[in-house]
Amino acid sequence: MQLEFTCNGRPVRMQADGSMRALDLLRDLLGLTGTKEGCGRGECGACTILVDGSPVNACLLYAAKLQGRAVLTVEGLAKGEVLHPLQEAFLEEGAVQCGYCTPGLLLSSKALLDRVPHPTDPEIEQALSGNLCRCTGYAKILKAVQRAADRAGRGDGTSRRGREAGR
Amino acid sequence: MSAQPVNTGELAVVGARVRKVDGRELVTGQARFAADLRFPGLLYASARRAGVPAGKLVEVDPSPALRLPGVVAVLLARDIPGPNLIGILPPFDQPLLAAGEVRYEGESLALAVGVSREEARRGAAAVRARIEPWEPILTVEQALDPAARRIHPGGNVTYSKKLVKGDVAQGFAGAQVVVENTYQTSFQEHAYLEPEAVVAVPGGDGRITVYASCQSPFHLRGHIAANLGLPASRVRVVQAYTGGSFGGKDDVATEIGALAAIAAVRLGVPVMIAHEREESIIGSNLRHAARIRYRTGALRDGTLVAGEAEILLDGGAYASESPFVTMKAMIHAAGPYRVPNVRVESTTVYTNKTYCGAFRGFGVPQVTFASESQMDELAAALGLDPLELRRRNALRPGEGTATGQVFTQSVGIGRTIERVAEKAGPRPMGPKPAEGPPAGAQPATDGGRYLYGRGVACLLQGISNGAEGIDVVGASVQMAQDGSALVGVGLTDMGQGSRTVFAQVAAEALGVDITRITVRQVDTDAVHDSGPTVASRSTTVGGTAVLKAAREVAGSLRSMAGLMLKCPPEAVRLAEGFAMLEADPQARIPLAEVATAAYWSGFPLMHLAFSRAPDARFDHETHQGDIYIAYNFGTHLMDVRVDRWTGKVKVLRHLAAHDVGRVVNPLGLEGQVEGGSLIGFALAHLERIDTEGGHIRNANFADYAVPSILDRLPTETLVVEEPSPAGPFGAKGVGEPPVAGAAAAFANAVADATGLRFTRLPITRADIAAALAKEV
Amino acid sequence: MEYLIAGSVEEALRLMGGLDEQGRSARYVAGGTDLAVQLAGNAAGGQPEALVDVSGIPELLRLERAPGGALSIGAAVRLETLARSADLPACLSQGARAIGSPQIRALGTLGGNLCNASPCGDTLAPVIALGGRLVLASVEGRREVPAEEFFTGPKATVLRPGELLVEVDFGPAALAGRSAFRMIGQREGQAISQVNVAVWLLAEGGRMAEVRAAAGSVAPTPVRLAAAEKLLRGQAWSQGLGREAGQAAAEEVRPIDDVRAPAAYRRLLTAALLREALAEACEGVQ
Repeated sequence: MQLEFTCNGRPVRMQADGSMRALDLLRDLLGLTGTKEGCGRGECGACTILVDGSPVNACLLYAAKLQGRAVLTVEGLAKGEVLHPLQEAFLEEGAVQCGYCTPGLLLSSKALLDRVPHPTDPEIEQALSGNLCRCTGYAKILKAVQRAADRAGRGDGTSRRGREAGR
Repeated sequence: MSAQPVNTGELAVVGARVRKVDGRELVTGQARFAADLRFPGLLYASARRAGVPAGKLVEVDPSPALRLPGVVAVLLARDIPGPNLIGILPPFDQPLLAAGEVRYEGESLALAVGVSREEARRGAAAVRARIEPWEPILTVEQALDPAARRIHPGGNVTYSKKLVKGDVAQGFAGAQVVVENTYQTSFQEHAYLEPEAVVAVPGGDGRITVYASCQSPFHLRGHIAANLGLPASRVRVVQAYTGGSFGGKDDVATEIGALAAIAAVRLGVPVMIAHEREESIIGSNLRHAARIRYRTGALRDGTLVAGEAEILLDGGAYASESPFVTMKAMIHAAGPYRVPNVRVESTTVYTNKTYCGAFRGFGVPQVTFASESQMDELAAALGLDPLELRRRNALRPGEGTATGQVFTQSVGIGRTIERVAEKAGPRPMGPKPAEGPPAGAQPATDGGRYLYGRGVACLLQGISNGAEGIDVVGASVQMAQDGSALVGVGLTDMGQGSRTVFAQVAAEALGVDITRITVRQVDTDAVHDSGPTVASRSTTVGGTAVLKAAREVAGSLRSMAGLMLKCPPEAVRLAEGFAMLEADPQARIPLAEVATAAYWSGFPLMHLAFSRAPDARFDHETHQGDIYIAYNFGTHLMDVRVDRWTGKVKVLRHLAAHDVGRVVNPLGLEGQVEGGSLIGFALAHLERIDTEGGHIRNANFADYAVPSILDRLPTETLVVEEPSPAGPFGAKGVGEPPVAGAAAAFANAVADATGLRFTRLPITRADIAAALAKEV
Repeated sequence: MEYLIAGSVEEALRLMGGLDEQGRSARYVAGGTDLAVQLAGNAAGGQPEALVDVSGIPELLRLERAPGGALSIGAAVRLETLARSADLPACLSQGARAIGSPQIRALGTLGGNLCNASPCGDTLAPVIALGGRLVLASVEGRREVPAEEFFTGPKATVLRPGELLVEVDFGPAALAGRSAFRMIGQREGQAISQVNVAVWLLAEGGRMAEVRAAAGSVAPTPVRLAAAEKLLRGQAWSQGLGREAGQAAAEEVRPIDDVRAPAAYRRLLTAALLREALAEACEGVQ
């Protein structure tokens, strides 16, 4: 079928089998291999992408469902050489070890911060509960998201208070 | 190893909280993992698995697969040019494609090559296999029955060893208290997020390149070449970015690397094999399940006098790393204590299940659970505080380990106990009533629903290959004229951060900023064989080699700078990207200028250096002698709250103190401790490969409960630095040790909370709820 | 696999009917989070020849409250919407929140969860406890089935070939009452229910005038906890009553041992979760 959508801010127009996985469309047809396959069953979150701002498992998403949507993958996070605050925070806090789960975690985190700029710890945990990581033990990932939120909201002080309240 | 005192002077980069050197490409999605690589004409391959645990393989018929559209070829065992065998320790026992016999359900019988992954998979499924099923051998007891069918020609014992120190009979005769119990642990899956993947690319020059998600590229090269029937020089292995390994990407990477290479050579085009999650669980090694009978004798004051253990490991269908796991478990069975009389028998057997091999901790988590449960049972029997009992028996410098090895430095177990004791604070739900009995007895409760408890565990973990073989690392450091340096080591970074550690060590020695250092990915054409990346040895042995090479290059630079500054080389210091006079740091020349001058003057700017751990020297009958170059020591504490209704356990507190010799990168260190601890917690509470009749029933992440962020531990990393002469700047590895500490501390905390000693890991919610329901 | 997108219920039925006439196998798909998993695990065969996507049908996306308090939820309303809604019966939102992960809930739908009919599906017990009625459409017309009668076994329902779940209707009592849901899985995040329990009750004068309780993963289909309900009906809440009801529920369910939990543990959980859910639903009842 004829598909039209935007991917990382750019328009895409292509012929594709509507029943293929969005994951394969991104990786094999668009060459966007930053989106990873970890389980192929929606159980690990490594293939998380944002569709109209919502995190979804690209391994379970039929390509036809991209029609008319705005897709964001990890390749679309940085602005040229300038990393997204979440990417900076993940590096700064040591939230990346092998890095295979990282693209999915970044996108789940972005979806959260776009919706809730100053999340509490439980809100972060809920938002990231669909992204498995085997290396880090998660503490540094949580800190990285807090850090990115703090940086974005620096000065207003609400995020820290929110966090304390959430403990 | 150098006898010089450990450098404890001022350091610029070592000890600093630095970012991962390869982090940028990982957060931007630019890092290419093996399955991300694309080559013109790329084909995909997928294996037909046996699906039954044991049987006679009568026939494999590829014709139904070959009739399918998109299936290009099907390889059978007879298509393998070489011996069709892989393994770790000769004689190798694992075929790439089974011939004649099926030994476990994940056995590959044929390899289907297709134009897409889907077509390859459909092709694999269509291959017809005729297997006459045999009654599978599923338990250690069945395997050891003298009448049992032999899984391998040599019988069902994979490996068996003994450790004898002193005289245990005499030791027990003098004991005033003896405790004894039998402990079990279950199979555990690595569950790295990246399933195994390789791409084999024929070069047209008679050579083939294999890009692999793997742990030990030189190991792959040897096996791939042998099975291709080619000399090793015709095979190049490049480690792609590797999405976690934890010990799990040796055997299986070898298997699929060789199969992809054989298919690629045969078809003359690149071939990729990328496992699905289910294959990754069923078709690659697990952590050994263990049954450990343990007996401990002590005097009334808690002094340990004897320890005896019988370790039985279920190793599954193939040997893999079993021989070494057998040994490592045995050597660590007595814990970080002074025990004059020790006897350990350790045996791994074959069964018709997924094979077991290396997994972070390598046998140590299993025995530590047993020995630390014993320590708590002993503390209860003696009426001693568990931490106090450990304090009284903790090894001190100058005292012998279970193998009689004596370290005069870097024995920090006592200090880890003290660090934990200082930080421990009040028990959960406040201090116990003063009149109450000491630890191990009835703990505080909360309206009847919640039980609270505290557990501690001490551990040691040998660093380096030790008894497993020669331990040499070759590292190169090359400075360019712009003052940047390229470091090459044959040890891989699978996420644990070794590239960052190597960069720090080189930056420190060369006096440059870490951003000026590039650590190359491991390419067997470009770096020296450094042995396998195992045994928490990268920082210690690898870091030492990098340090030596960097110091040689630094020597050249200092000589050149001496000429330029008109002073002897010894008067020159390299720091901040400059060569400067030690006595007058304002007299300085940018390192790029020095490097350029050195280049034109013919001073060598590249050096290859070796670090060789002293060979293990020990008696092979008793395992008495010097085995490891150092030990990491640790003490963990966990406070838990147990829900009587559901068996849910909430970890309220987790302290993890480790003697790491010297912290190289606090960020990396914490990451290793936090991540390793969660794997240990999962081993103790959440994860169990569930097999029935030789079939794994939970080969997916829905039913195999890898912890999510909501299950994480509140780990606080506590550092003890007792520098070791074996490592760079005194550093010792820390990759594996936290697994054992967290697992054992969890078990002890649950026992303390419930008053019930669980002797089998994982202690699941169901186990706890059922046991408590019986109590009522 | 052909991918067809239906714009209305009628078009969906027509597409499905047409495929059937051609002798082509086809499945409805909404979010696809269960179907894609099922099909991926079945690579060797059993792939339908076509999928008919109903996730964009406006009628299936309605979430309406009638003036009298009746509630009607379209089958393609996403779980995330239910999870985030503050003005739905509590047990339904809580059940939706317990399913999978944020990623799954962003795609998955109420209708998909119900039609998948897995005994562990976390909206099933809530819909039963709330007395939901399922509206099913076919070319012959529409029929209504009480939620309790919809499920006939694991992954089996009364849906006829080509029939489509359009919406789930709840009477005014569903919103007038109090409800709560509890589940437990092997881990905390992204867990599949080892047991789940939903309760709904109507309080009158400090007593439970009406009670419905249902549990999942304790039988081939989600089940009403009739013995527990009987014990509770007409009673005022107390911890002791909760324990008795839990005990009764544990005895009346018929769980099995499987890879996710032993049967005995499921009984313990049924009791524990019912007690918790009741305590929450009864909180503040005067």
